[in-house]
Amino acid sequence: MHNDSPTHDDTATMSSANPLPVAPVQDEVQDKLPFAALSAAAATALFLEACGGGNSGSSSDASGSAPTTSQQTAAQSLSADYAAARFLQHAQFSSSQSDIDAVKAKGRAAWLDEQMAAAPGQKGWDWLAERGYAVIDANQFYQMDYQANYMAWQQILSQSDGVRRRCALALSEFFVVSISGVSTLQWAQFAVASYWDLLTENAFGNFRTLLERITLNVAMGEFLNTLGNQKEDAATGRLPDENYAREVMQLFTIGLVQLNLDGTPTLGAAGATIETYNQSDVSNLARVFTGYQADESDGTTTSAVAPTYRLKQVGYTRRPMVLNASRHSMLEATFLGVTVPAGTEGRAALKIALDALFNHPNVGPFFGRQMIQRLVCSHPSPAYVARVAAVFNDNGKGVRGDLGAVFRAVLLDDEANSTAGLTSTTFGKLREPMVRVAQWARTFKANSLKGTWKVAKFDYSAVDALAQSPLQAPTVFNFFRPGYIPPGTVMAASKSTAPEFQLVNESTTASWVNFMQNIVWSGIWVRAPELITSPSAATPTDGPDIVPDYSAEFALVGNPEALVARLNLLLCAGQLSSATVSMIVAALGTDKTTITSSDSSKRSYVAKAIMFVMCCAEYLVQK
Amino acid sequence: MTTPIDSSRRDFLRHTGSTALTGLAAPWLLNLAAMGEAAAFSASDYKALVCVFLVGGNDYANTVVTFDDASYAKYNAIRSAGTGSGNSGMVLSRASLAATELRPAVALPDGRKYALNPNMTGLAGLFNAGKAAVQLNVGPLVVPLTREQYNSTNRVKYPLPPKLFSHNDQQSVWQSSSPEGATTGWGGKIGDMAMANNGDGLFSCISVTGNQVFLTGDAALQYQCSASAGAIAVKSASDTFFYQPEMRAAFVAMLQQNRPHVLENEYNAIMRRGMAAQAKVSAGLSGVSLKTAFATGNDLADQLKMVAQLIGARGALGARRQVFMVSLGGFDLHDYLDTKHGPLLKKVDEAMTAFYQATVELGVANQVTTFTASDFGRTLTSNGDGSDHGWGSHHLMMGGAVKGAAFYGKAPPVSVSDTTAAQDQWHVGQGRLLPSTSVDQYAATLARWFGVTDAELPSVLPDLKNFGSVDYPVNLGFLA
Repeated sequence: MHNDSPTHDDTATMSSANPLPVAPVQDEVQDKLPFAALSAAAATALFLEACGGGNSGSSSDASGSAPTTSQQTAAQSLSADYAAARFLQHAQFSSSQSDIDAVKAKGRAAWLDEQMAAAPGQKGWDWLAERGYAVIDANQFYQMDYQANYMAWQQILSQSDGVRRRCALALSEFFVVSISGVSTLQWAQFAVASYWDLLTENAFGNFRTLLERITLNVAMGEFLNTLGNQKEDAATGRLPDENYAREVMQLFTIGLVQLNLDGTPTLGAAGATIETYNQSDVSNLARVFTGYQADESDGTTTSAVAPTYRLKQVGYTRRPMVLNASRHSMLEATFLGVTVPAGTEGRAALKIALDALFNHPNVGPFFGRQMIQRLVCSHPSPAYVARVAAVFNDNGKGVRGDLGAVFRAVLLDDEANSTAGLTSTTFGKLREPMVRVAQWARTFKANSLKGTWKVAKFDYSAVDALAQSPLQAPTVFNFFRPGYIPPGTVMAASKSTAPEFQLVNESTTASWVNFMQNIVWSGIWVRAPELITSPSAATPTDGPDIVPDYSAEFALVGNPEALVARLNLLLCAGQLSSATVSMIVAALGTDKTTITSSDSSKRSYVAKAIMFVMCCAEYLVQK
Repeated sequence: MTTPIDSSRRDFLRHTGSTALTGLAAPWLLNLAAMGEAAAFSASDYKALVCVFLVGGNDYANTVVTFDDASYAKYNAIRSAGTGSGNSGMVLSRASLAATELRPAVALPDGRKYALNPNMTGLAGLFNAGKAAVQLNVGPLVVPLTREQYNSTNRVKYPLPPKLFSHNDQQSVWQSSSPEGATTGWGGKIGDMAMANNGDGLFSCISVTGNQVFLTGDAALQYQCSASAGAIAVKSASDTFFYQPEMRAAFVAMLQQNRPHVLENEYNAIMRRGMAAQAKVSAGLSGVSLKTAFATGNDLADQLKMVAQLIGARGALGARRQVFMVSLGGFDLHDYLDTKHGPLLKKVDEAMTAFYQATVELGVANQVTTFTASDFGRTLTSNGDGSDHGWGSHHLMMGGAVKGAAFYGKAPPVSVSDTTAAQDQWHVGQGRLLPSTSVDQYAATLARWFGVTDAELPSVLPDLKNFGSVDYPVNLGFLA
């Protein structure tokens, strides 16, 4: 009989980040730190030497001998590196050695403040225009949406200002707009880019401001039907579209049930949860979101190919929707305990509505818990949620809704950084597939050789598919639900949420490995990478275009201890157990490639090492 | 042939934990019987249930369209109101419905008639040939409700299904009687009862459309199969990427390793399950060659084709009782109901009709019952070019065992006004239908045909005890 219960075949990866005991640890024979750190430290010292930096290491034989002072120093340094890398992998997509050194030197808080204050990188809208997609010609880009995929991937794979982009990606999984859901817009790719840019620009601003801007954004307007939504017509019985009114409450602000500050539901009579809104609230609130249309103040032109039609200028996509007062409902609207008096002008009605949503006590815990889930762990303690929600309510300077403060609170919290999370058997989250790819690209400095970044949805073949693509959630409910509890698992028994498991099944566990196999050796294959268009037939230039730079790894070929130590740090902040490290080192040891072998052989060696790490459960579950 | 389930067996299953029972071969469970635990129903024949989930809330009014003169006139008046000029597709013309008129063997009372959406010629044909039926106005209910009871504030005496009108919750309620966060669904619970009949319990509940709570039971787990690729193999487990065999073996072992960390361990358990099943499923599928043509460019057709192939492979998989799930998205038509709904229903029609033909080809037409489901129906009123979230809806059942050319349930009046008149008692505003049949009754009818006994039904459908009156029969009667 096959017993699937977990076995204790190895021990925790890290018992403490700092401070380490000063006394020697001769009797430490298990795989706990500092012994593991010592072995790894020795290996690290070697690879630092090989790369021309770092302390001089002790002898390579670290097993079983008493640690020397330099080994202890190396071990302490490595633990600090791991802690810094761990923090970096929560806050952004990757953790280079220079990032690690900066965090160690400045401290997490100061480093984070610097990142949040830095000038944002290039806007997605501008990037698309720069590539040439704003022209009106026989290509008819104005009818297309898929270049938004290129924009979104370039932003997360490569664009500078990683913390801001990481937070914007988290926001995009809360305030969801999906590329495929707005394809009917003219210049759809630019509309999506302008939406993404709102998220990056406002990521550290104020929630209330962001809420208003996304409400008036034309891509969101198309996605949830505010665009073109008309007031009631008593004569005919037509009523306003309710889509945005419902989803702005259910998904973007207050959720379905009243919450305590710590994210747990408030219980009323007989222990039942308490609804936040009902159908009447939805129907009334819908009146507020009427009368909005695209801002065509820079006029229209004509499409390029017969039969021609009236074409909006591309600039409309980055201007907020405008209000056509004659289409805006003038009825009284009562929802959530507030009333918009009859005859209230549209913008004033909007303010009343958005203020009511923003000021609802649910927003802090509802939003805060999901940001913790996106960045740190799937099932945070209620206390963690309460701390973050409290910051949402007041950033310490009397301001409600300070997103920068909220992200700071999420990333700097003790629950995110304490070593308790490293020995826990439940803490952490499954890394999202698209975030794993972004980490690979940034860690290995992947670059689009031709600069076109034509990366799309990776779903042409189920066998090699990636289960996710940025801004391509199947519906406004994102790729997975915050309340998802994987059926038939230990998490179900303990009612622990693990959203990312909604993408995990027998197909996707296999296809992730196949996907990595496809890209790890030579990079991401692109059709005609020198063209901004996407030919359907094969061309002679088809081939890898988003290619990694493995030069640092090449220097460690034939030295599996050093290579695995490097990958363990950079990819998973040292979270591979010693047993796993040893296993991978031994496995790589069967390959006799050295640094004098051909480039092709060295590339294979490095690719295999990366595969081991990035397909390992200890990497896939981020702590 | 069926024996009442021993409740101690169910408790045994729960205490052992679901992961321990994943994919267990029948002999272990027969030992259970030898130990004095009665197995659930035993079957020597083959049966399958196939759930076609229409994601987003399918608009009932333009799917099963009221067709007799009087009610059509009301539908036309209500739905064309406020519809922009050029959006004539929001209201389906009576002429366009003639070809898909449903001709039941016994006419509905009060002269009511229905036609299917003009794009559903295949299913209309199957209905008229007695191989498909319509369940009118079905939706989640905890207890039977009148409109007055819905409007009352006494939620203890007249409880409502949780989180009405919310997509994700209603999808979950349809599948599991509970809102989002549920971990078992009635398809999986039926699978629990049936697993003992299968050579490999893992193949009892199969999804071809991503993770769905519907298919997980207390012991039964959802097995995922790709519509296009079947059981997906880890290529590097057998190709030359890891050139050295020892390296490859180490990698394969790592992928499947037990782990102390809960999330890691559950991830690897799924990987392990997939790798263990892959060769058997692929071999089984390769032994099936279906001649029935399925439409291309139709995601639902792709999925149902894979289901047909899996059914074709049932011998190789040792399966006797299976529950499948497929789905099609895009039904949340707040906008574009006029342009997008027809093509979606065409996909449903082509896919389901071809699937029926495939079951005929496989010789199992009487043994496979397919049924539709959706988050909810929609409003009857228009918002200009679409409809908004509703509740009750009309659904379709198809298969040789279905007592077709018939309507089940009650035809709702066509009205959107808020009076106390009889015509307004079966909607809760804007023509959102108040269901006159519950999902539990629908599910119970399907489950009983599948082999679940009356004694076992309450454990599959906990609210079923609230039904059983003349107007809410537990057996709706649409299956032989």
